[in-house]
Amino acid sequence: MIYLDNAATTPMDPRVVQAMETSMREDFANSGTVYKIGLDASEKIEECRQTISELLCLPSSHRIVFTSGGSESNNLFLKGYSFPGKRVACSGLEHPSVLDTVDWLNDTDEAIDLKPFQKEGVFQPSGIRVLKENKVRLFCLSHVNNEIGSINNPSHWIPDLNKTGPQTKLFLDGVQGVGKLPITANTWNGISGYSVSAHKINGPKGIGVLIYDSRLDLTPQIHGGKQQYGVRSGTLPVPLIVGFTSALKLALERRNEFENRAKELNACLVNGLKDLERENPELQLTFNTPVELDFSQRSPYIVNFSFPPVEGEVLLHHLEQKGIYVGLGSACSAHSREPSRILTGIGRSKQEARCSLRISFGAQNKLEEVEMFLTEFKTAYEALYPTFRQGTLTK
Amino acid sequence: MTASRIVLIRYDEIGLKGKNRQFFESALLKNIKEQLKGMEGLRYSTPRGRIFIVLESDQIDTCLRNLARVPGIASMSSGVEVEPDADIIAQMGIDWIAPLLEQKSDLPFCVKTQRSNKKFPISSPDFNYEVGSRIMKQLHDKGLRVDLTHPEFELEVEIGHERTVAFYNRVPGLGGLPVGSSGQVLTLLSGGIDSPVAAFNIIKRGCRSHFIFFDNQAFLGRGGYDKVLRLAKKLNRFQGQGILYVVPFGDLQVSIRDHCNPSNRVVLYRRMMYRIAQELAQRKGYLGLVTGESIGQVASQTLENLAAVSGLCTTSVFRPLIGTDKVDIVQQAKRIETYEISIEPQPDCCSVFMPPRPVTRSKIPDLERDETRYPWKPLMEKALGDIERIELGKVV
Repeated sequence: MIYLDNAATTPMDPRVVQAMETSMREDFANSGTVYKIGLDASEKIEECRQTISELLCLPSSHRIVFTSGGSESNNLFLKGYSFPGKRVACSGLEHPSVLDTVDWLNDTDEAIDLKPFQKEGVFQPSGIRVLKENKVRLFCLSHVNNEIGSINNPSHWIPDLNKTGPQTKLFLDGVQGVGKLPITANTWNGISGYSVSAHKINGPKGIGVLIYDSRLDLTPQIHGGKQQYGVRSGTLPVPLIVGFTSALKLALERRNEFENRAKELNACLVNGLKDLERENPELQLTFNTPVELDFSQRSPYIVNFSFPPVEGEVLLHHLEQKGIYVGLGSACSAHSREPSRILTGIGRSKQEARCSLRISFGAQNKLEEVEMFLTEFKTAYEALYPTFRQGTLTK
Repeated sequence: MTASRIVLIRYDEIGLKGKNRQFFESALLKNIKEQLKGMEGLRYSTPRGRIFIVLESDQIDTCLRNLARVPGIASMSSGVEVEPDADIIAQMGIDWIAPLLEQKSDLPFCVKTQRSNKKFPISSPDFNYEVGSRIMKQLHDKGLRVDLTHPEFELEVEIGHERTVAFYNRVPGLGGLPVGSSGQVLTLLSGGIDSPVAAFNIIKRGCRSHFIFFDNQAFLGRGGYDKVLRLAKKLNRFQGQGILYVVPFGDLQVSIRDHCNPSNRVVLYRRMMYRIAQELAQRKGYLGLVTGESIGQVASQTLENLAAVSGLCTTSVFRPLIGTDKVDIVQQAKRIETYEISIEPQPDCCSVFMPPRPVTRSKIPDLERDETRYPWKPLMEKALGDIERIELGKVV
């Protein structure tokens, strides 16, 4: 099996499984109880919190809340901070858990269109004045875009935002960023909220964190036993927290090594695809990932490209037959055949959006796997092209 | 503590089948035993026209639930074996009825006796009176009254040669004929709402149905396959021993797509499905094809397009739903619990394989001309050779 859909999820690292297994056996006590084993569990959680805080170089102002994952973290911050009454905006190219939450929070009549202020998925500082004009109180962006991999690095324009619109808080969806991008103490300047998910970095599903500036008031979305500063009630899952912490540690220990390899794989894939295009006049590629930008502006882990007229979903199934698993360039939901808003948002046509794939690398991928993908992609494309080309029939 | 109870099974239609009765009865008994094979300690007996199962009271609900899936059962009841004595049976009736009268102030009831043991000295109407009057004496002031035409509570007594049984909760069975009594057929399953209902109807008439699904995983992934497998398993609960055949259909579909008149595509796909199904049926000795077609429901189900596929077949083609409205099909699908699976979104490649304007009145000479444009014979042989065979009773 060749697994190239690591932006969807990743296989668990055996060391994480090991750590969780031990914890599942040993740490069963409710961390909210006052007897010894409960206090032990509570202490273990605090140790994990401390470790995560150190690994991510968090300032003392920012706190960690454990959630069920990226979607919950995004919902908790956006709703918890803004509802009711604060205006929220995003660039329009975010994950549905941000995009749909923003839509839900805002009155649709007053939707703010910021798409003109991004280039290939990267927010442009010229949009800051629009945020001010529209009295936006919370602005949300992807740290790394989940479909095309472009990077928003707000440190370039945060001083400008603070000066022009000091009341606008910034939230970053960090689900595709953590473990991959370098994170230092400076990263947190001007960031009010940030979400992380364990299963994107070889950890377990069902656990993530929200990092946020504790000087802000968050309205809880889940009420109950007032765990975690009362912001997120619910008995804490110690084994999942142990798994999250272990996965984050492992990811950051070898972050540089993995990043260098991802760059190699990325170059091999992009160049290989360009070669295929040169060899085959019937293959016309459009890269949806801004491959001409350097790796400070795009993640080496994600490559998204279109190849009309062959449909991405059909090509995906052809590759599946060969044991190669890739992502759709534009994920359509189970309920709609419409392509997601990201590719059309950066100006691709609906056909280009439908005819696309997303390759995303993980810690386990090797160069041979990318080469194998290229070979099988070529075979599948050539087999499918006649079927998708229009007007083949001669009556 | 549990007590011994009796489940009584009636099978009206089989009772009418003259000299074949023995054959139908043993088929039904075999199917019942198969359906209940997970239950321990059941004892069966088959006095004339009935099947009795002696079991523990805590097994009754499971037993009745499973029997509700056995074609050939007209109705069933659970009751107890008693002495044919009016005092004893009346007391039993009082024990059953009294709790009901705590909740309502008016309860019409009657007693119905069937006496297959004619040596029993009291006639059925007299026995009804004997039992009924004893119960009324105890309970009439609590709201019980006799109503022979519209009773809410019917106390039934069967006085047989070997045993007498009293019971009250008669529940309808599926009806129809026992599976295995009418031979084997092959149902074309698509994953939609109709074909499972068609299969069910034919199973109910005593046929064992196997299933054939035309798959295209290279284009559609495993979604359709998984869905049809679950549908076939649901249907197999009514019969057991069914087989699902999965035919790789992608190459044929691509070839038709690439070489033939776009508006004829759908009918051409279906002609190949019928050809392959018929060939498989003939090789396996199945005596008919079953489809979920209903006149005019979609473009491919006009009379012309039905003729374009039927004309290829020397094997019988059964279309149990041909005159049934969609709403009724949907209701049946809900009853047999296939509906929820059928409506799950299924990947379809409309944009690739479906023409913008499918022909509603195909002409056979046009179709035959299209079929000279692609190598359907070798493709069909290849598809037949690559069929995957799944024994439904053996998959989890």
